[in-house]
Amino acid sequence: MKKRIVVAFAVIAVCAPLAVPLGAQWLDYPTAGVPKTPAGKPNLQAPAPRTADGKPDLSGIWDNNRRGTAPVVIAEGVFPLGASSVGWVDFGAGLPGGLPYQPWAADLVKQRKAEYGKDDPTSHCLPLGVPRLLVDPEYRKIVQVPGLVVILNERNAGYRQIFTDGRPLPEDPQPSWNGYSTGKWEGDTLVVQTNGLRDGMWLDRSGSPITAAAKLTERFRRVNYGTLEIEVTMDDPKAYTKPWTVKLNEFIVLNTELMDYICNENEKDITHLVGK
Amino acid sequence: MARSIAAAIVMIAVCAPLPAQWLHYPTAGVPTTPSGLPNLGAPAPRTGDGKPDFSGIWEAENILPCDPSRANCTDLRASPEVRNIAQGLPDGLPYQPWAADLVKARSAGIGKDWPHSRCIPLGVPEIHTVPEFKKIVQAPGLLLFLDEWNASYRQIFTDGRSLPVDPQPSWNGYSSGKWEGDTLVVETAGFRDGLWLDMKGDPMTDAAKVTERFRRLNYGNMEIEITVDDPKAYSKPWSIKLKQFIVLNTELLDYMCMENEKDTSHMIGK
Repeated sequence: MKKRIVVAFAVIAVCAPLAVPLGAQWLDYPTAGVPKTPAGKPNLQAPAPRTADGKPDLSGIWDNNRRGTAPVVIAEGVFPLGASSVGWVDFGAGLPGGLPYQPWAADLVKQRKAEYGKDDPTSHCLPLGVPRLLVDPEYRKIVQVPGLVVILNERNAGYRQIFTDGRPLPEDPQPSWNGYSTGKWEGDTLVVQTNGLRDGMWLDRSGSPITAAAKLTERFRRVNYGTLEIEVTMDDPKAYTKPWTVKLNEFIVLNTELMDYICNENEKDITHLVGK
Repeated sequence: MARSIAAAIVMIAVCAPLPAQWLHYPTAGVPTTPSGLPNLGAPAPRTGDGKPDFSGIWEAENILPCDPSRANCTDLRASPEVRNIAQGLPDGLPYQPWAADLVKARSAGIGKDWPHSRCIPLGVPEIHTVPEFKKIVQAPGLLLFLDEWNASYRQIFTDGRSLPVDPQPSWNGYSSGKWEGDTLVVETAGFRDGLWLDMKGDPMTDAAKVTERFRRLNYGNMEIEITVDDPKAYSKPWSIKLKQFIVLNTELLDYMCMENEKDTSHMIGK
């Protein structure tokens, strides 16, 4: 009996260090194929990986804000959000003078801020939509296969499809939160065009509007292993006086996995969202 | 001039199908019969590594008009299993006594608490029975399910990872798949307590382990054998077999359950 206990301990001692990383939570699961520095650390500056057809591979889990390193700018009148990216709060925060609102849009943003964003669709468990899903504080994962790039968002376990099979944008499509997106490679940049966005979407927590007239161009460039740059150009003449462009940075997230966040589960907030 | 009009007409005839709605966009690489129709009986396509490729848009079996001798035969374009997952089991499900009572109570409530009616995720295996289309994206190490319903995803890892120990319970659980010949065998655990398997209210608990055996029989047909091992709710494991049909020349159309939602306040049961 004693011997058996000793054997059991020995098995635990031998197996435990091996078993823990494998059988542990997927939240700590090691990412495969990460380039390393001579010291054995992830080499985030290494060249971007490529798919079999030689194009940059955008696949990976991406985070829009460097928690703890980047200062979070909170627009006036907007509820502060601790770990959120600047773009989540105000998509035009990086632009001198901010977004070029049409007068009605400027008034609307003012009103939405004054009401603490009580009608923000995301507060009501509605989708993020495009391009807001790029700046959501929850992680997103890109899965790139021939003819298709899929962006998975932890929020509501949602997906967005970007077709890279050469199809043209649809004419007069059913308006939707994610719109209809096609992508073409220009060198190492994936240029994505989107139309068919739904009227009345919020671009950010400040309530910057998007209308059904919006045409969106996103230029995805994986600068190196660790960084994805996305240049977003919005052409929505109904809401903005001119097209504008914002550059976003996404940072690779290693050794973890998406964790589904279902907004509508045990939802108790909405009745408390009353503004002022 | 007449010539250029003729050329223009030819161009329109050639190009017209392209800029149309994606709802009618032609699926690439469909095998065809000698008469040019889709050959749904052709062998299943394969990926570069020789494994069957499940990629495509799929629909749960819902042959209409259905056989009126079967229970749950309605004009609704949905599989009978969406109402009763044990539709094909002559003896029904082997409920634990509390589970049998619960199903009775839920049936009396006409499914008013069915998560699906309240814009809460479907979970596994209900994802395979609902009428909305699903798209499978098969990437190295990963099989994705994209579901029109709430435009939501489910991930099945095929990179060899083992199931997580004591994970955060979730609607989709944690799924890991392995090939056994041409069958993809997917094990899932880590479910949230209180899942519904169907509209009738068949329960699934956080003790559940679900095994799905995916087989693409040919180009047009997929079979999923589902085994639910949930000793808390059922006295023994049970299995069902579902059929899925390929859907061609269209694309997913996102359906957001919470958009302009006006139903839940009217769902009061009897």
